[in-house]
Amino acid sequence: MALTGIQIFKMSPKKNCKECGSPTCMAFCMKVAQGAVDISACPHFSADAIAQLSEATAPPMKTIKIGAGENEYSLGGETVLYRHEKTFVNKTRYAATLCSCMDDATIDAKIEAAKVVDYERIGERMFTEALFVNCAEGTDAAKYAEVAKKAAATGRPVILNTTCADCAKAALAEIKAAKPVLNAANAANYAEMNAIATEAGVVLGVSGTSVDELYDTVAALEAAGNKNLVLDVTMDTIKATYEAAVEVRRGAIKNNDRTFGYPSIVNVAKLADGDVALEQALAAAFTMKYGSIVVVSEMDYAMALPVFGLRQNLFTDPQKPMKVAPGIYPLNGADENSICLTTVDFALTYFLVSGELERSGVPVNLIIQDAGGLSVLTSWAAGKLSSTSVSDFMKAEVEPKIANRKLIIPGKVAVLKGDIEAKLPGWEVIVAPLEAVQLVKFLKDMQAAGQC
Amino acid sequence: MTLFDVVFSGNDTVCGLTEGAINDAIAKYGEDKAVAFPSTAYALPCYYGVTGTKVTNLGELKAALEVVKTLQTRNKRLHDVFMSGVATALEAEFIEALKYIDAEPYNPEVDGCVGHIGDDIVRSLGVPLVTGDIPGVAVILGKAPTADDAVALVKSYQTQGILVTLVGDVIDQLAEKGYKTGVGVRVIPLGKDVTSVVHVVSVAVRAALIFGNVTGGDAAALMKYTFERVPAFVNALGALNPIVVAAGAGAIALGFPVVTNDVETAAAVNIKVPKSLIVQPDVDKFNATSLEARDIKIKITNIDIPVAFASAFEGEIIRKGDMQVEFDGSRVDCLELVQMKDMSEVEDHKIEVIGPDIDEMPVGSKQQIAYVVEVAGKNMQADFEPVFERKFHAYMNCIEGIMHTGQRDMIRVRISKDAFAAGFRAKHIGEVLYAQIKNEFDAVVDRCAVKIYTNPEDCTKMRHEVAVPTFDKRDERLASMTDEAVDVYYSCIMCQAFSPSHVCVVTPERLGLCGAVSWFDAKATNQLDPAGPCQIITKEKCIDERIGEYEDVNEAVRKFSQGALEDVSLYSIMEKPMTSCGCFECICGIEPFTNGVCIANREYTGTTPLGMTFSELASMTGGGVQTPGFMGHGKHFIASKKFMKAEGGVARIVWLPKDLKEQVRDNLNKTAKELYGIDNFVDMIGDETITTDPEELMAILSENGHPALTMDPMM
Amino acid sequence: MPFNRKPQKFNTAINVVEIGTGDKAIKLGGASVFPFYTFDGPIGNTAKVGVEISDMGLEGEPAGVKAYYEGCTTMAEIAKKAAEMPGADFVSLKLEGGDPNGVNKSVEELIAVVKEVVDAIDAPLVIQGCKNAEKDGELLAKAAEACQGKNVLLMSAKEENYKAVGAAAGLAYNQKVGAESAVDINLAKQLNVVTTQLGVKAESIVMNVGTATVGYGYDYVISTLDRIRAAALTQADKMLQMPIITPVSSETWGVKEATADEADAPAGWGCVEKRGISMEVQTAAADLVSGSDAVILKHPASVAAIAKMIKELS
Repeated sequence: MALTGIQIFKMSPKKNCKECGSPTCMAFCMKVAQGAVDISACPHFSADAIAQLSEATAPPMKTIKIGAGENEYSLGGETVLYRHEKTFVNKTRYAATLCSCMDDATIDAKIEAAKVVDYERIGERMFTEALFVNCAEGTDAAKYAEVAKKAAATGRPVILNTTCADCAKAALAEIKAAKPVLNAANAANYAEMNAIATEAGVVLGVSGTSVDELYDTVAALEAAGNKNLVLDVTMDTIKATYEAAVEVRRGAIKNNDRTFGYPSIVNVAKLADGDVALEQALAAAFTMKYGSIVVVSEMDYAMALPVFGLRQNLFTDPQKPMKVAPGIYPLNGADENSICLTTVDFALTYFLVSGELERSGVPVNLIIQDAGGLSVLTSWAAGKLSSTSVSDFMKAEVEPKIANRKLIIPGKVAVLKGDIEAKLPGWEVIVAPLEAVQLVKFLKDMQAAGQC
Repeated sequence: MTLFDVVFSGNDTVCGLTEGAINDAIAKYGEDKAVAFPSTAYALPCYYGVTGTKVTNLGELKAALEVVKTLQTRNKRLHDVFMSGVATALEAEFIEALKYIDAEPYNPEVDGCVGHIGDDIVRSLGVPLVTGDIPGVAVILGKAPTADDAVALVKSYQTQGILVTLVGDVIDQLAEKGYKTGVGVRVIPLGKDVTSVVHVVSVAVRAALIFGNVTGGDAAALMKYTFERVPAFVNALGALNPIVVAAGAGAIALGFPVVTNDVETAAAVNIKVPKSLIVQPDVDKFNATSLEARDIKIKITNIDIPVAFASAFEGEIIRKGDMQVEFDGSRVDCLELVQMKDMSEVEDHKIEVIGPDIDEMPVGSKQQIAYVVEVAGKNMQADFEPVFERKFHAYMNCIEGIMHTGQRDMIRVRISKDAFAAGFRAKHIGEVLYAQIKNEFDAVVDRCAVKIYTNPEDCTKMRHEVAVPTFDKRDERLASMTDEAVDVYYSCIMCQAFSPSHVCVVTPERLGLCGAVSWFDAKATNQLDPAGPCQIITKEKCIDERIGEYEDVNEAVRKFSQGALEDVSLYSIMEKPMTSCGCFECICGIEPFTNGVCIANREYTGTTPLGMTFSELASMTGGGVQTPGFMGHGKHFIASKKFMKAEGGVARIVWLPKDLKEQVRDNLNKTAKELYGIDNFVDMIGDETITTDPEELMAILSENGHPALTMDPMM
Repeated sequence: MPFNRKPQKFNTAINVVEIGTGDKAIKLGGASVFPFYTFDGPIGNTAKVGVEISDMGLEGEPAGVKAYYEGCTTMAEIAKKAAEMPGADFVSLKLEGGDPNGVNKSVEELIAVVKEVVDAIDAPLVIQGCKNAEKDGELLAKAAEACQGKNVLLMSAKEENYKAVGAAAGLAYNQKVGAESAVDINLAKQLNVVTTQLGVKAESIVMNVGTATVGYGYDYVISTLDRIRAAALTQADKMLQMPIITPVSSETWGVKEATADEADAPAGWGCVEKRGISMEVQTAAADLVSGSDAVILKHPASVAAIAKMIKELS
C-alpha cells in the first residue's frame, strides 16, 4: 500500500534544511507520497529508512524509459486502473510499422509518411512517436540493421521486432545508442535475447503465446536479473490480446503482482491484418485498455486525429481540466467589426460554445479569457471570472484589435452585466441564454434583427 | 340518522336496484347475453380492478353481484362504511354496463354526455396526469346554487389545467349558459344519473392498472395507487341523499376527498371524516378547499407583473439618475423576512400593501419598506425560513428594472423609472415573491401570502419588534446547534462532478467544506428534492466517539462514493479524515515542529510555514482522497468546537493568514475561552505579517505561550 | 510460481432489456463482469450496433452513406436498407427535424415518419428526439403511442421531460425508456430514481449517460462510464444497473475533423469521409470498452468495423 505523507514524514530527518529543493520536510514528504519526487532527493534520510520506504513507495508498475535525448519517453508507472481514481501518468505512445520485407523505396516512403502527422492540440504536440521494425522470416541481418538504422535516423525510438538473434545483434550494433526496444524474448529464446539486450543496455520486449507463458518468461527474466522490460501482450486473436492486456495491468496494479508490473506493447496492425477501420477501432480500444505502446500499420491523419484526441482526454488530470489558450478566436469569418462573445478557457466549455457558434453561421469573435480552466459557474464562484477580469482582458487584448463594441456574456453570469458595463465604457453588454445549445437561435435572431 | 345508517341505506338501495336490473335483463336476454363497455380491454374495469375477474355476460354479472354483496358488512365501523362505498361504486358500474346492452346510451351530440371512457383516452389522459400537466381531476356532482356558480367553479378548475368530470344537474346548468364541454376541452360530462360517476372511477382504476402496473384483484395496491397517484376529488353540490353519500364513501375509500356544501345533512348525520369529507358552505371556495384537501399544487407559469422576469436581468445596475425610488436599509428601516405561520393564519396568494404605493412617493426619494412573506404548509419547518429568504436576492434581481442588494434588515432596493412607467408597483414585489416561493418550494409550502409595509411607523415596528428578534433567535439557534442535538446528518455530493469520490458529511457544527452548505441547507435540499444530492445519514451506531466515527456514516460514505471511501471520522484530521473536493474554502495542514496546524484560505496566495501555498496544499489534498494530516474545510468550521476535536481542538491552530484571522477572530476567541479558558487566543497565532518560516514561528509561539506547544504530539 | 488469476466476477448483473419483437428482437445487458472481460465470467448479451437514420433523409450525409442508400426515396426504403446493413442489430430514427431552433417540423409530420419507419422494418427500433426537451416531451409520447406493440426504445427522456416520456413509453404503451443525462454518474442515477418512482420498471430503462467525440471532453464520458459500471457491479447499485446505449454518430459527425473538406482542412488531413469514419469508429470503440451496451452509428464502414470488433472481443 502507498504510504501517506505523514507516515513518510515520521521517518524523515525533520531538519527543514531545504537541500532537497522543498522548503520543508513536510512538503518534501507530501511530494514523495504523491510520487512527484524520489526519496533519494533527500540526502539525510537514513539508509534504513530509505530501504524501508523504497520498497513501500515503489510503484506497483515500473517506469521504463525508451529512446534517447529529446526523444526519451517514460512508459508505465501507473498506479490506478481508472483515470477517475487518480491521474494516469505516462501516456500511450504510437509506433508506425516498417518491415525488412519492404524494398528501400517503400521503406523511405513509409518513413516520410510517419513524419506527416505532426500538429499541436491544446498545448500538446501530436505526432508518430516511434517506429516498429518488423523482421521478416529469413531476413539477412545486414538488411535488418540497415532498416533499423534508417528508422533510428528519424530520431524516434525504434522497436526492433525480431526473434532472430543475429538480426538483433546487427541492428543493436548500429542503433543501441538511441535506446531502442528489443522486442524479441519469448519462452524459447529469452536467455539468449536477455544477454543481447543486457549487453546493449536496451529494454527487452517479452512476448508469449498465452498470459501464463508470458508470466513465466517474465519471471525467468527477472530471476536472471533483468527488470528493464516491456511486455508485448499481442496474442493470436483480438480476444486473447485484450485478456492479456487487462490481466497484465490488473495483475500489477490491483493485485500487486510485480511480475506483471511492466508497460505493454499492443500490435493492433497485426491484429487487424489490413482492415483499416478495424485497426482504428482497436487502436482506440487498446489506448483505453492499457497499451503503453500501440503499434499501428500507418499513422495518417484519419488515425491520428481521433486517437490523439482520445489519448489527450484519457491522460488529462481529472483535477485539472484542460485549458485552451486565452485570446480572440474569430469564427465563421468574423473580423474586427463582428460582435464579441466571451466565455471561459475550460476546454469542454470552449468546445461546446465554439461548436454551437459555428453551427449558427453568424460571424462572432469568441473571446477566451483566463479563468483557471474552470467552467463558467465554478470560475465565477472562485472569483476567476469577474467583471474586473473580463473588463481588464477586453481592454488589454480586445479593444486594440476589435472595433465592434458589443459583448455577449454567458447567461449564467448575468449578474456581472452591470459591473462590466461600468468598467468597460463604450461597450454594450448583452446576456446570452443559459445553455450553449440555445446560442444558435439567439444569434440568428440577433442577426435577423440587425443587431450583429 | 348516523353516517353508518346513511351509507348503509344508500348502499342497500343501489344494491336492490342493481339486483332488479340484472334479473330483468336476464329475463329479457338470457344469461349468455354479452355485457361490455366499448373500447376497453379490462372487461368491467372497476370490478376487474378490485377482484381480478373479468365479467363478460349476464350470468357472470349476476355471480359478480353476489361477490359484491359480501363487501356489504354492517358493523358500525369506518371500514364497513368504506367497503359499502366500494360496493356502491361496483354496483353503479353494473347498472351502467346494463345500459350498453344493444344500445348506445350516451351520445355527446344529443344529450351532451360521454358515459364510458375508452382505454385510448385513458392512456392519452394518463400521460399528462402522471407528468402533472393535468394537476388534478375534479368530479363535480349534483346541482350548484345557480348556473353561474356552476360555470365559475368549472372555469376555476379549467384554468388551472384540472380535468373536470360532471355528473347530474350541473351538466344542464352548464348547457344553459352555453359552456363548452367535451374531452377536447377537458370538461367531460359523464351522465345525468348518479351511477354515471362510475365512469370516472373506471378511469382511475384503469390508470392504476395501466400506469401503476397494478394487477387486477390486488385491491390494496389499487387503492394505494389511486390514493397516492390519482389526484382526484369530489365536489358534491346540493342536497346529499343516501345514494350520493354511499358513493362518496366509495370515493373516500379510493383516497378522493369529498367537499360538500350541504351543511344541514352533514350536521344532521354528524359526519366526521377528517380531510376526507369536508363541509364548505361557500361554493366560491370549493376550488381552494378541494386543492388543499387533495394536496394539489398548481405551478405558476406566468407571474402577473408588468415587466419581464428572467435571470438575464440579474446583473442589471440601476443608477441614481434612472431611479424612481430607493428603499435603503442603511438610512431608514427596511427588512425582508419569511415567517412560518399556521395554516389557518395564511390566505393563499393574499398580497397586501400597507401604506403608500410607489406612485405616492417622490421621484428619487429614499423610502422604507418591509416585505414579509408568510408561509404555511404541512411539511413546513421554521428552519427553512432563512433558506427561502436567501433566495430573495436572486428573485428580486430577476425583475427587469429592479436592483436588490443585501439581506435581512440591511437591504437596498432600487426601482427604475422605466419599470415604474411600465406600471410596476409595490404589490408586484409580492407577486414575484409569491410565485417564486410557491414554485420553487412547493414540496413544503401550501399557502403563501405577502405583506408589504411602506409606512415609516410600520417598518420601524416590524424591524425592531419582529424582524430583529427573529434574526437574533435564528442566529442563536444556529450557534447553539450541536452535533449531539440532532438525530441525523446529511450527505452532500453536489461537487462529485469534479471530485468523483468525494462525499461531504454535513453536521450542525461542521458545514460543507465549500462553506455554502449548512446543516439546515442540506436538510432543506433533502426535503425539497428527496432524490437529490443531500441524503439523510443516521448516526445511531457510534464506533468511536473521540474521533466521531459512526457505522452508519461509514455506510453512507461508502455508498455515495461508490465504494471509493471506506470510513471517515468527523472530528479528526489524523485518523480517517474526511475527504476534500476541489471547492473547499480553506485547507489546514499539520505543522510538525509546532505540534499544530496551519490554515490557508483560498484567497491567500502567499506561502505558509508548511512551505506550501494554498494551491500546492490543495493539489495534494483535493480530489476526494483521504490525506491524513491535511483537510479542506469551510471558514466557519475554524471556530467550531468540533474542529479537530480528536486532536485537541482549536488550540492546535498555530498559523492563519491575516485576513482570515480577522474574519474568525471573535468566534475563535470565544471558542478558545469556552474550551480552555484562554483569553485572546487569536493573538497567540502567527500570520504572514509575523512570519512564514517554521523556525521563527516556533520561537514566536513559545514567546506567546501558545497551548499547542505543550500538547501531546500529533504523530 | 504461475500467474495467479483473480477474476472480477460479481454476484450481480446489468439488467437485461429487450427491444423489438419476434426473431429480430435484441437484448441489451446481462454482464456480470467488466466490458468484454470474457476471461472473468459471462459478459451477458453481446454489445449491439444500431444504424442511425434521420427524418431529414439523406441530405448532407457523407458520400459513402448516400451511396449505401442509393435508390431509396422514402423513409420506409431508407429504414429497410438501414436494417439490412451488414453488422446492424437495430435501427435508430432520429427526429432532428423537430428541433424548434432548426427546421421545426410539426409533431404530426414527425409521427407520420415514425409510423412509416416502424411499419417498414421488423428490426428493433430506437427513436431519438430532436434535442429540445419540451418538444420531445410531446413528440416522444406520441411516438410511443404510434408504435404500440413494437416494443421500441424511446430515447431522450431527460430531467426536464422524463415524466412525459417515461409515462407514455414506460407506462401507457409498454415501450422502453431511454433515460438521458449529462455525463455525470449522480445525474444518471437521480434520473433513474425518479423515473422508477414514476412507476417505470427498472427493467424497462436503458441509460444514455451522455456522449462526446474523442478529444472533445471525452474524459468525462470515460469516467462516467467507468464509474457507473463499477457502481453497478461492485456496489450492486440497482439504480445504475440499467444497460447503456450511446448515440455516437450524431456527435462525431459534427466535429471539424469530420466536417472540414479536404480543401479547407489543414494540409495532410486527407479525405474528409475517411476522417469521419475513424472519428466514429474510435469513439464507438472507446465507448464499448468503457461499458456501453449498444452504440448508434451511421456509416456502413463504421458499422462493419465495430460489429467485427464486438464479435472478436465477445
